[in-house]
Amino acid sequence: MKNQKNIFPFVLFISCLSLTLTNCGGVPEESSMSSPSDKIFKVEDVLTMIAEENDVTRTLYTKGIVGAGKKQGLKFDEDWQDEDVEAGPLPALFLRGISSDIRKSPVPLGLYLGSDFPINASNKFTGKQAELFKKIKETQKPQHFYEEDQKLYTSMFADLAVAAPCVNCHNDHKNTTKTDWKLGDVMGATTWQYPSDSLSIKETINVIQAYRNGTKAIYNAYLAEISKFKIDSTKPEIGQKWPSEGFFLPTAEVFIDSVRKLTSYHTLELLLSKKGSEIASN
Amino acid sequence: MFSKNPLRKRQYIGSLTGISIGILIYILLPLKQSETYLSLGPLNTGHEGLSCSSCHTDAKGNLWQQLQSNMAYTFGMRKTMTDFGTENVDNKKCLDCHNRPNDRHPTHRFLEPRFKEAVTNINATQCETCHREHNGTRVVLKTANFCMNCHYDLEVKNDPIDVPHEKLVAQKQWSTCLQCHDFHGNHIYKVATVMKDTIPLQKIQNYLQGGTDPFSSEKSHNPLSEKEWLALKQKYIPSK
Repeated sequence: MKNQKNIFPFVLFISCLSLTLTNCGGVPEESSMSSPSDKIFKVEDVLTMIAEENDVTRTLYTKGIVGAGKKQGLKFDEDWQDEDVEAGPLPALFLRGISSDIRKSPVPLGLYLGSDFPINASNKFTGKQAELFKKIKETQKPQHFYEEDQKLYTSMFADLAVAAPCVNCHNDHKNTTKTDWKLGDVMGATTWQYPSDSLSIKETINVIQAYRNGTKAIYNAYLAEISKFKIDSTKPEIGQKWPSEGFFLPTAEVFIDSVRKLTSYHTLELLLSKKGSEIASN
Repeated sequence: MFSKNPLRKRQYIGSLTGISIGILIYILLPLKQSETYLSLGPLNTGHEGLSCSSCHTDAKGNLWQQLQSNMAYTFGMRKTMTDFGTENVDNKKCLDCHNRPNDRHPTHRFLEPRFKEAVTNINATQCETCHREHNGTRVVLKTANFCMNCHYDLEVKNDPIDVPHEKLVAQKQWSTCLQCHDFHGNHIYKVATVMKDTIPLQKIQNYLQGGTDPFSSEKSHNPLSEKEWLALKQKYIPSK
């Protein structure tokens, strides 16, 4: 009886502590966490979809802005952000700008560009990426793998010479490591990374949104750079028109709208495709 | 009360002293004037005068909720832990103020698989690897030769400097890199084309340790001040 009396305050204390520590709720967990049943898209399908959007975006930028713009006297340079350089981003740097903006978002998507003959040595593939890039050059097929050390699902996609400016600029560049590029060549590869093997519809849309926001951010950065050009006559008119029509550049909205028109149908088709619903029914 | 048992008096004084000290700590420690005593060390160059709360922002929820959440996590009742007291100071915090679109070496670039080996030597994916705070310096690394981890096979076509990069690399003169190149590429200055015109190594080392900036006083992008950061935060971050 004496022992029971001694243990009572201890039991009471532990009960009160556990009740107060577990009741009334703590800090809410992130709402973006999806239950496994919501994860209806395989990561490689999502990365393939976004890589296709990237192909369209970069082709439009390369042909519609860089290619046509050069004919109008616009300049594009790797040091485009330097104070004394009045130029726009080359397509590779346009992609790097998108990649940087994605990293500022909460979406854990990685995007990189590399090659076996890059202009900038720091973009040369090594290790596993170099091995897989050999396969990509032969087959032009994407390569998907799990990067064990980083615990990231990784996909690599061929980056083709889709337009004359790709070939001409790389062949003629003073620091080029290869001078015989031709249209259709696999000039490099994009590498995409994501930390989970499957994504919910919300996470997939966030990935698309992060990529599109990145496109808008780097295009706006280019327009901001133009506004700093010292001589007014070197500033193209920014509005509805494209460089193919004269000394013009489209606004960010016009550019993004064109990207949307070219990509949205295909992207939506992929989102609604059988693949997604098949996984959902499993 | 004390006539019954004199020991009670001692307990009473002890309790009162303890409670008073507790109240004083509770009032005095959060004061701005106490921050110097709470800091783990002097703030790094450029951060002098910042409040603790600029980086150590309040974690979500109150202390009790945070305790509850972490207890729940310990017993497997939730998937994630939560920050206790203040949020973890990570890259995102640094980039809130130091976000530069022209960064030549942004931390996220080193997340690519091909930098895996380099990252085992120097974890360039984290700002704090070089800029660990509370050290009263700019860069905490002892030597300025970190470029070798990625640029060991550097080849420069149309080399603009009198002593070619190839030779500098072959001679492992890695400390010369910073004599021309600003790591993050934010300074506005002309790069020397003759070795004797480059910034002396002593000045670079002095700069890394928090001394005068030898590159230039002009920068493409200036970081946000605490005031600007607070204004932005209030504008875009919904109150908890």
